[in-house]
Amino acid sequence: MNFSTFIGHDDAKLALVLNAIDRRCGGVLLWGEKGTGKSTLARLFKDILPEGGPFVEVPLNITEDALLGAVDIERALSEGRKAFQPGVLSRADGGVIFMDDINLLPPAVVALIAETCDRGVHVVEREGLSARHPARFIPLAAMNSEEGAFSPHFLDRFGMCVALSTLDERGPRIDILKTAGHQAEAGRDKKDLNELHRRIARGRAQIGTVSLSRTIEEYIVSRCLEAGAEGHRGEIFLLYAARAYAAYSGEAAVSEKHVDAVVPLVLSHRVRPREETEEEIEAPDHSENHDCGEPPEKDRAGEAHGSAKEGNDREEADSAGDDTSGVERQKTEPSKEEVFETGKSFGVKKIAFEKDRLKRNESGRRTKTASFGKSGRYVTSGFFDNRDVAIDATLRAAAPFQKGRGRDGFLVIRPEDLRFKEREKKTGHLVVFVVDGSGSMGAQKRMVETKGAVQSLLLDCYQKRDRVALIVFRKDRAEVVLPPTSSFELAAKRLRELPVGGRTPLAAGLLEAYRLVRRTGLQRPRTRCLVVLVTDGRANRSLTQEPIDREIGRITALLKTVRRSDYIVVDVEDKRSLTKMDLAVRLAQRLDARYFRPADLKSENLTGMVREAKTVQMSND
Amino acid sequence: MIFPFTAIVGQDEMKTALVLNVIDPAIGGLLIMGEKGTAKSTAVRALAELLPEIEVVKGCPFGCESGGFLCSSCRERVEKGDQIEGTWQKMKVVELPLGVTEDRLVGTLDIEHALKKGEKKFEPGLLAAANRNFLYVDEVNLLEDHIVDLLLDSAAMGVNTVEREGISFTHPARFILVGTMNPEEGELRPQLLDRFGLCVRVVSVRDKAPRVEILRRRAAFDLDPEAFMKDWQEEQDRLAKDITAARQRRDGVEAADPVLDQIVSTTIQLSLDGHRADIVILKAARALAALRGRKAVGADEIKEAAMLSLAHRAKRLPFEEIGAEKGKIEQVLSGLRIA
Repeated sequence: MNFSTFIGHDDAKLALVLNAIDRRCGGVLLWGEKGTGKSTLARLFKDILPEGGPFVEVPLNITEDALLGAVDIERALSEGRKAFQPGVLSRADGGVIFMDDINLLPPAVVALIAETCDRGVHVVEREGLSARHPARFIPLAAMNSEEGAFSPHFLDRFGMCVALSTLDERGPRIDILKTAGHQAEAGRDKKDLNELHRRIARGRAQIGTVSLSRTIEEYIVSRCLEAGAEGHRGEIFLLYAARAYAAYSGEAAVSEKHVDAVVPLVLSHRVRPREETEEEIEAPDHSENHDCGEPPEKDRAGEAHGSAKEGNDREEADSAGDDTSGVERQKTEPSKEEVFETGKSFGVKKIAFEKDRLKRNESGRRTKTASFGKSGRYVTSGFFDNRDVAIDATLRAAAPFQKGRGRDGFLVIRPEDLRFKEREKKTGHLVVFVVDGSGSMGAQKRMVETKGAVQSLLLDCYQKRDRVALIVFRKDRAEVVLPPTSSFELAAKRLRELPVGGRTPLAAGLLEAYRLVRRTGLQRPRTRCLVVLVTDGRANRSLTQEPIDREIGRITALLKTVRRSDYIVVDVEDKRSLTKMDLAVRLAQRLDARYFRPADLKSENLTGMVREAKTVQMSND
Repeated sequence: MIFPFTAIVGQDEMKTALVLNVIDPAIGGLLIMGEKGTAKSTAVRALAELLPEIEVVKGCPFGCESGGFLCSSCRERVEKGDQIEGTWQKMKVVELPLGVTEDRLVGTLDIEHALKKGEKKFEPGLLAAANRNFLYVDEVNLLEDHIVDLLLDSAAMGVNTVEREGISFTHPARFILVGTMNPEEGELRPQLLDRFGLCVRVVSVRDKAPRVEILRRRAAFDLDPEAFMKDWQEEQDRLAKDITAARQRRDGVEAADPVLDQIVSTTIQLSLDGHRADIVILKAARALAALRGRKAVGADEIKEAAMLSLAHRAKRLPFEEIGAEKGKIEQVLSGLRIA
């Protein structure tokens, strides 16, 4: 198979062709579900690149040394010279850097590549080396949208972005099968590719002469303004894309039709999703839930979900009675239970914690930790022998003594010269969700929003490779409904099934969390825990005869004795209610917790295109 | 080739704040926060073109100021009775790449020298190159913590003290720290935030006409950088001249007692901790007056300087965004009068 026999996805192919014509088009990000041919197509880009341009792939396990370059060990030892062994960024000038699964690459690696791409020069300041190399390359990336979001800040650096979906039509699908089975005519394949080469070469030769009128420049800006594109990169990339397209079409001037043709490629990822689009994407989610055969309340819940604003307005009218409504309901119908639908989920803000002093092997993507093994970023060197020799530091330690030791050709390194790398990487947490399932949470369908928020946090935990556990407190006790697990499908299921009703034994919930966290500390002493308490704070049932407040105070004090555990309080109290009491705020202070209202958890920047796919998948089981 | 500073459309606050730091390096740098694609990095890199010359000790890799605080090797020379000679050198913008390692930042043993001669010699790092120059960190909020620690350490004292690999060395490291960041990508540690003298927030231009102009200039520059630079040379020269003149006038600009009084009452009303804000406002206001050719600091200068100096210092509620209290600062400043 070659680039021109790759079937379908014409927009993606056009994007690549335009980049082959003009590097200034700024690269392409291909995204879609698994098995849509993203990576295959990206690799076929080689077919149409100008001669001799390197095509460098960035593997997921890439080390910073390999990316940025490092001391050349061989030459250092044999010649005693500090020579530079070029990394990926020094080898890509005039070609392509391909990042498959870019959303799984360590963010630091992506940041380094983006920084260099932006500058066009690779600046090396490492391990005693200082160098400058030209680095004008086309960034090319593929990502599987189910594996989590990708920072919009870096998304913006890509000139173009194309979504690949599974082809729905019968014809092309059969063609794909044929191609995969090598049944296509080899002769014709070659001819098509040659024709494409010819057009690209012509485009490249002509691009300098393609003219651009003032009207077209204004048209480009209008299109960006209409689309609500952020920043000024959209306009500039749009201009280059339209110009490359005009050159590709063999025309002498850029016209509106060229601009229109490339707008979807250039602007789709620079626009914040509109509300309607989110609704549309969520639609299948609803139907799935209906199929699961949930209790009849779902219709009412669905209504609140669909029009949260209306719900709030209505709420205000009877907000005076809000405080007591939950309690009264219990009195009149003590056994009443409801299962609310899961509200809309959203992208979550970055939540990470301070590094502690432990070394860990557990990997993850949330919080920095010193690393035990050879994985992670080389931070500094030391004497602790972890079999990971820091060449630069060792050489420096040995260097001054070479004369005295009678060096003859090879360096004389003694055991006392050896230095070892101390590395840093990221680790996941055990995230214990402690969710209030009391009757008051059912008031005004608060649970719909709450479940949406918890689901969003779960999704974030999946992406950060945390483990999760779920504790629910309601009626007279707290219960671990999900012991620590890495199964997010199971977690989402437990969340969906979560019933609401009864009093609020907050103290019991906290105590159960304490037990779980403490147990974890004994079993896996290096695990960092994160307790996420989701409540309106209105505790009304105690464990003992003590006043509720004092009891909670004692348990929070207990929780604070746990080492390696952090706290988050998500306050779901209705702050517009006249009777708001801010009890959860006090609780957060006592626990020294980070405090969020559900809306504050939202990452404002999410381009949104990526997360829905996974949400739908999770709710499907 | 770098896009000329004066050809950047709009973003006046950012440009002024950068220029003020050239006029008076003691202002203490600038943090530029803003959305993606708003010419943040372009502006900082473009500033290099406009920088004036400073006097440094000839042959000193640490850019020592003769008569000022000297590095270990200059001090040795002085103690030996050597004559220290000065030379003029253009100020630089030294970039700190995100992937920098500790040894390259602070400097380390010169390995080749050690191998050849068998003696220990200090090899200067980026902090040495940045002494009395601009130190620019793109995406400063993504900088690794251990590097930030080292930066803070030398920024606090203006000195880089190296004790490693049997080397013992001290040199001045008074750099003008300029950072750009997109707040969406993560927060900045408060200690580092406080190090920046000024802070501006940039947003993309929303009006069509200037946006077309941005696009047009960018395209013209990309297509023929040399011709574009030529077109802007006159403008560049004028600004460079203004900056040099302002640097000379700076210390002569008067700041009478009522001015100081106003500055202090502004910071008191905003209940700021520490005195750094007061000092920064005064310096920035004075630099601004010098740039405008005024003999004394006026109310306008204080207002503008305060807007640049206070955005990142005002007390925030937890989780409140930096710059969100702009309204409050404006309110306090609106009552400002100079008696």
